[in-house]
Amino acid sequence: MNSDWLRKLCAVGGVSGQEDAVRDILLSLLPPEAETQTDGLGNLIVRKKGAARPKNTVMLCAHMDEVGMLVTYISSDGMLKFSAIGMDRKAYLGKRVAVGCQALPGVVGVTPVHLLSDDKQKTIPAAHTLYIDIGAADREAAEALVQPGDAVQLTGDLASFGDGCWKGKALDDRMGCLLLLELLQEDLPYDICVVFTVQEEVGLRGAKAAAFSVDPAYAVVVETTTAADLPDISGAERVCRLGGGAVVSFMDKGTIYPFALYRSAMALAAQHGIPVQTKSLVAGGNDAGAIHQSRGGVPTLAISVPCRYLHSPACVAKEADWAAVAALTRLVWEDFCQQ
Amino acid sequence: MDRIADILAALCRVEGVSGAEDAAAEAASIFLEQSSAVQTDRLGNVLGFRTGGQTGGPRILLDAHLDQIGLIVTAVTEEGFLRVGACGHMDARVLAAQEVIVHGSQPLLGVISSVPPHLAKGDESACPDIRDLCVDIGFSGERAAALVPLGSRVTLLTDPMRLAARRFTGAALDNRAGVAAILRCLEFLDGEATCPLTVLFSAQEETGGSGAAAAGFSMAPDEAIAVDVSFGQAPGLAPEEAAPLGCGTLIGWSPVLSRDLSLRLEELAQTERIPFRREVMGGRTGTNADRLQVAGTGIPCGLLSIPLRNMHTGIEVLDLADSEATAKLLAAYVRDKSRR
Repeated sequence: MNSDWLRKLCAVGGVSGQEDAVRDILLSLLPPEAETQTDGLGNLIVRKKGAARPKNTVMLCAHMDEVGMLVTYISSDGMLKFSAIGMDRKAYLGKRVAVGCQALPGVVGVTPVHLLSDDKQKTIPAAHTLYIDIGAADREAAEALVQPGDAVQLTGDLASFGDGCWKGKALDDRMGCLLLLELLQEDLPYDICVVFTVQEEVGLRGAKAAAFSVDPAYAVVVETTTAADLPDISGAERVCRLGGGAVVSFMDKGTIYPFALYRSAMALAAQHGIPVQTKSLVAGGNDAGAIHQSRGGVPTLAISVPCRYLHSPACVAKEADWAAVAALTRLVWEDFCQQ
Repeated sequence: MDRIADILAALCRVEGVSGAEDAAAEAASIFLEQSSAVQTDRLGNVLGFRTGGQTGGPRILLDAHLDQIGLIVTAVTEEGFLRVGACGHMDARVLAAQEVIVHGSQPLLGVISSVPPHLAKGDESACPDIRDLCVDIGFSGERAAALVPLGSRVTLLTDPMRLAARRFTGAALDNRAGVAAILRCLEFLDGEATCPLTVLFSAQEETGGSGAAAAGFSMAPDEAIAVDVSFGQAPGLAPEEAAPLGCGTLIGWSPVLSRDLSLRLEELAQTERIPFRREVMGGRTGTNADRLQVAGTGIPCGLLSIPLRNMHTGIEVLDLADSEATAKLLAAYVRDKSRR
């Protein structure tokens, strides 16, 4: 895993609808022989010639966007009201954020616990009461720096820790972007088509349009997925675990994956000694939800890196799991090319 | 404001959770040594005896607590997660997915657990108890147990930094802001002869004020001024609950505090044109002044506070002008007592 590239990809903001900075980094790191096209929604479609033509067009996909907020209103006291995209509010309450293209520092404020009843000390405040404080003393001062519509990113630098773990904001799904970016650097046996999609977190909107234009016979979505392997959570509710390898799902909230494809991916992993696991709960969803319904239907698989604290400033994933996803994605792609 | 911002940033970059203030003590001592002879007592308090020229007048003690709220490791699970308890009144609502540093046998990066939404059973407002949280340091149980002795402290990781205008944010502004104001006051007094001045950067305020109680007894000053933070105005707070950021220093009025001292602070703020507000408390102040007042044979106390938003979180916010005003008023008070 090229951690320098992952750091570059995670450092920039790409809240849904404002993925430009992520796309620019991907464009700058693609090999010169890759043909690129940015569609009307902002999806980046990349094609590269391989040694042979595949029997089937296979669309590989990872989303560029990340969870965050949009500024909706500036109050008279200089505070920013916002709408959160794809996040549980406890993940950003009391955290540092970065506002607008200039990444102005701000904080999501809270009433001090000292001034709250016992009940309220144990309650996450209602979403409509929350605000971002950038230090502006009043509306005029804030308006000179921010305007409604500006995106707000979570802040959380990529860092390695523990035994082969990485933490940072936007690992969902820059880890997938990195994986496909690295695959595109290789000399490949077949022509390849990779789509870096926009707006996954607001309803798989980029993938819907991209799947229509690419018109693939098969698709593979490379993602991160929730791991809840934490104390006090047991059995099926853990969903999947860090260190357990690539996650191949048979069903999530958006897609029932073709069982034959699911089984063949599991068999490929076993045959090549790639650690693999499935999700023990029907939870979450990804771009497959849009892609599999495209045109006359597209058999699709999702292969994911298990990730703790998804949709937070500090997602945690293991490099060994990413490597398993990379190895399995490559095999599944080649398999789909020849089906 | 650049100078006080620099002092604050240097003080907020080091840790000092209650009972383990060593790193914060060292950072504060580097500044304090420029004006004072520095000692550390048996509870971990830092004491500075100002060495400039001395006039007559009362022996004044200026106090600010060094410690910050944090977490303390109580157990390591078989899977390598750390169970923690609160050191001080920690705000549990802001801890999910918070980056932390675990001060084990070496500093370790960690993330506080956050239960994913699929297990929240649709109740997004539920806030876990601190004892149900854990710190994820990415190691196996065996490695984690070897690296993290029980009792290790945990601090929230947020780099101190400036916001727009004169605002500043960081994780331990309660009460490095008070420490910085006293250090800045000493810089204002540089080269002047003053009454005998003792600085106390006290340990363990957040867990009950034992540092100030002990040092108040052993120093037995003629009077003392505690410098701390108080509630800054923010959305959701009534005007009477909190002071606007940028309003100046808050001069405490309370039965616990010396009325003469509070009055003199106000008179000086007026004559020196230092912005201030009166902060009235019906009884105890919730600061070291409560402990200092009844230390030994009793010490007349004053209290200056800096308005602070988001107290006891990793994103505390203050206005540097309020810190500067606090430092100026402290210096004015010391000069005033030195002239008499």
